[in-house]
Amino acid sequence: MGRPGPKNGRNFGGLRLKHASNSVEISWQGEKLELWSAKAIHWPAKKLLLVADTHFGKAATFRKSGIPVPESTSQDDCHRLEELVRQTKVDSLVFLGDFLHARDGRTEGVHKELLDWRKRLSRIAVHLVRGNHDLQSGDPWPDLEIQCHREPWTEFKFDLRHHPVGPTAHPFMAGHIHPGFSLKEKSGSSLRSPCFQVGKNRIILPAFGTFTGIKTVKPDRDDRIFMTDGQEVIEVPTY
Amino acid sequence: MKLQEAHRTATAIFKKRGWKVFKFQRDTWNAYASGESGLVHAPTGTGKTYAVWIPPLVEWMTEQDKAGKAKRAPGLSVLWITPLRALVEDTKLSLLEFCEEMDLPWTVEARTGDTSGTNKARQRKRLPSCLVTTPESLSVLLSYPDFKDSAAGLKAVIVDEWHELLSTKRGIQTELCLARLRKWNPRMRTWGLSATLGNLDVARSALLGTSAEGKLINGGLKKKFQVEAIVPRDMERFPWAGHLGGKLVEQVAERIEKASTTLVFTNVRSQTEYWFNALLMIKPKWEGEIGIHHGSINRKTRQEIEDRLRLGTIKAVVCTSSLDLGVDFSPVDQVIQIGGPKGVARLLQRAGRCGHQPGVASKVICVPTQAMELVEFAAARDAIEQMKIENRVPLRAPLDLLAQHLVTLALGEGFSHKAGLEEIRTAWSYRDLTKEEWGWTLDFIIKGGKSLSAYDQFKRVTRKRGVFSVESRKVERFHRMSIGTITSDPAILVKMRSGKALGSVEESFISRIEPGKNFFFGGKLLVLERVRDLTAYVGLAKSKKGTIPVWGGGKSPVSSELAQSVREKLRDAAEGIFEGREMKAMKETLALQANWSSLPGTNQFLIEKTKTRQGTSWFLFPFAGRLAHEGMAALVGYRMSKMEPMTLSVSFNDYGFHLCSNSDREIGNEEWKTLLSPVDLLNELVECMNLSEMAKRQFREIARVAGLVFQGYPGAPKSGRQLQASGGLFFDVFSKYEPNNLLLVQSQREVLERQLEVERIKEAFTRIQEQSLILNHPDKLTPFSFPLWAESVRAQLSTESWGDRVRKMAVILEDSA
Repeated sequence: MGRPGPKNGRNFGGLRLKHASNSVEISWQGEKLELWSAKAIHWPAKKLLLVADTHFGKAATFRKSGIPVPESTSQDDCHRLEELVRQTKVDSLVFLGDFLHARDGRTEGVHKELLDWRKRLSRIAVHLVRGNHDLQSGDPWPDLEIQCHREPWTEFKFDLRHHPVGPTAHPFMAGHIHPGFSLKEKSGSSLRSPCFQVGKNRIILPAFGTFTGIKTVKPDRDDRIFMTDGQEVIEVPTY
Repeated sequence: MKLQEAHRTATAIFKKRGWKVFKFQRDTWNAYASGESGLVHAPTGTGKTYAVWIPPLVEWMTEQDKAGKAKRAPGLSVLWITPLRALVEDTKLSLLEFCEEMDLPWTVEARTGDTSGTNKARQRKRLPSCLVTTPESLSVLLSYPDFKDSAAGLKAVIVDEWHELLSTKRGIQTELCLARLRKWNPRMRTWGLSATLGNLDVARSALLGTSAEGKLINGGLKKKFQVEAIVPRDMERFPWAGHLGGKLVEQVAERIEKASTTLVFTNVRSQTEYWFNALLMIKPKWEGEIGIHHGSINRKTRQEIEDRLRLGTIKAVVCTSSLDLGVDFSPVDQVIQIGGPKGVARLLQRAGRCGHQPGVASKVICVPTQAMELVEFAAARDAIEQMKIENRVPLRAPLDLLAQHLVTLALGEGFSHKAGLEEIRTAWSYRDLTKEEWGWTLDFIIKGGKSLSAYDQFKRVTRKRGVFSVESRKVERFHRMSIGTITSDPAILVKMRSGKALGSVEESFISRIEPGKNFFFGGKLLVLERVRDLTAYVGLAKSKKGTIPVWGGGKSPVSSELAQSVREKLRDAAEGIFEGREMKAMKETLALQANWSSLPGTNQFLIEKTKTRQGTSWFLFPFAGRLAHEGMAALVGYRMSKMEPMTLSVSFNDYGFHLCSNSDREIGNEEWKTLLSPVDLLNELVECMNLSEMAKRQFREIARVAGLVFQGYPGAPKSGRQLQASGGLFFDVFSKYEPNNLLLVQSQREVLERQLEVERIKEAFTRIQEQSLILNHPDKLTPFSFPLWAESVRAQLSTESWGDRVRKMAVILEDSA
């Protein structure tokens, strides 16, 4: 028999569901990866942290068009990133596309906030694999010292992309979709949250930005789904 | 021309048409002539239109002679507001017809979202003498600075079907628009036309605002109503919801056969599809002779059906409330109501769709879908006789709409701080708007809320020399496009391969259907091919089976007034009084109920406890409507599980609710009174109802109205792709960063008032405290409890955290896999 689950682990009908854990470790393509409830993937072997779809400046874009959104969303996202880097002690941070939301969102306020954040994390290397929004909004301000790459970026063992692609021989991680999963009760009520969609050959990350929507996905046959509400990450059955 | 002389001209036309002038019409003419405003209430088809249309015409005639004979059409003199776009064209034609008969040069034109761009532009240069329009289109007009000059000669605003608008946000939008028009033109008269309501004085105040008293004119006449139910040939004692109806299809078909044109009303759109197909199944020769009409069907198709109704070239139309309103379909000689009417006013409205000839009774044939509805029909008849009609209560000061309207004003003439508040407060719904609410709403549109960072570039409304206005062209464009998107969620367009649009369904429905599967829509069996860009492409299905879409919006609960009347009917039955065919048909069922358990009298409250396969079931019967019962069930369940931890599932209908538990606890009289106590009701309800989820759903509408979500309109080019965010997302972000946002407060209030009907819960609990409890332990399900048991939707009470809920659901899924 397998060893008992990690601390606080519980067994539910063959499913191992950790209790109140802010990360889950999975083994994927021969690598150990940690899925964090804060919507990031930690790859310990490479000392690497991956996040997708931050959409910085989205609130600013809205506000510029006269739609009132509280501005503190991006501030919060910066803090969350900082906290993740501190906890995982990584050397590099990779954004899987859609770093900035739109050209209209390149405001002084957003710039200053990101610059402050970058200064606090000056020790690590930061990369961006350009996504569709980045093409429209342009590369980040040079003083942020973010190295930009075209997808797929093949520096590491797996392809790092923004847009997921169809069946491929190269395992990859991507964003773009903003995946979410919906659990339905028999009574008809349902519960929807962002999720990691982990397939045999690809992982799709949830959108990192607070002010971003989610799209309910239909998992493929061999997909594993890890739902997160920002506090906890839980694997759920997909049938 | 003298006034009397002008009136005679109008009367002559009445005579030519074979009508006579009723007293209420003459009263209205005189009140108008003396400068008064008011509300005329009467059932449909009694000539309300001419009560209010003739006075402004007559007034103009008298003025003409003073100034010498002018044969030119006057500029904008009358605004005619109607709730339905579909009514605008018909109204225009009938108003115009009268002008022509009177030989007046007046121009009458329509203006809605459908009016072509060229026509709109032309109208803005010169408005017709009378403009027929909707609340949204009026609001758009107010957003043009030059509208003030065009409206300088406005004499009157007529609001048609005011009862329909009254308790909705569109009604409040009308109130706000009227407030501005009155500010420009204090002598302008406002006249409303309404069906009969329980609170007509409130309806009048809401229409006229706080500045005028106004007349209330009863055009009720002695319209006769007949309510008759089809009694099933063999009464079942344990029918459940929706089950009985199918057995009555043949009897319904017989009735349709005998009449020349029938309207068959159902309560929900899915029932329309069901009945349309059921009728065709037994009468295939009716193919093409009967039609289907509901709000999701393509407008052109609906228009064709309406035209055929008007001409009398259609045998029957199965419809929903989509045909409750509208111009008279004179050929209609029979109305059938399927399922409980749920409200007295609604049944009256529907009955009024036939029997338009004076002196002829409006008759409605009622078809029960479950036995208890027979009692409902009998109760409705009593309520009609006693004229106990429902109230419609306007919402109090919704800030989402205020935000929208202030931007509209800023785009138009603009407004200032002090005068602006005064003007808004003349609108009835905002009469006690607080300074805090006003200030918050201004902040919201000027600074984008309280928070304002140093680098902020927020631009919506700006203030210059004390006047608020809009500078950004982008804001201007988006705002005009957003006015009038109060109504509904974006839907999926249903289109044939050929490109022909059939109508629309909700996304939640279509996402449950796999491509290749069949479903019924608009009376046709379709096969889904693919869904792309908010469009579902379909073809005609080859096989015979399919699903019927379930649309949102759901069922409305039985009204307080009707529920009260039902309780009285049962009290009579308890005393052995069975009046009318319906109650006589129910005699056996009710006797069984009395035998196995009890029939509650007025001062009694019935609780049944029964062992079922699922465990212990408690059935409670407050007769307070399904929405209130949903909240009551959750609350009582919550209180029970605080007494003793237990797992509960609930179900409810219009008459009562059902709690099912694994615990066999004996609950005594005193304990029940505590469980059903109104004390601390609101707090506990918030705790047990998953209120934030409900508020989040409610917030979608609020976000749309307040201009947070830019939706565009169907067929519009996808502009502003970077500005797409859902109402739910705004709800989350506001909850986290601006918990004091008053729009969040509004969403919670709307949920409590509209979705949970918290007032009715309070009322029912208070009533129960004074009633004596009958606790019965029948060993079988009774006629009352059976439908609740059969319908029991196993909704678990969920008070756990997100994680607990996910885990629990995961386990259930795992077990059932």
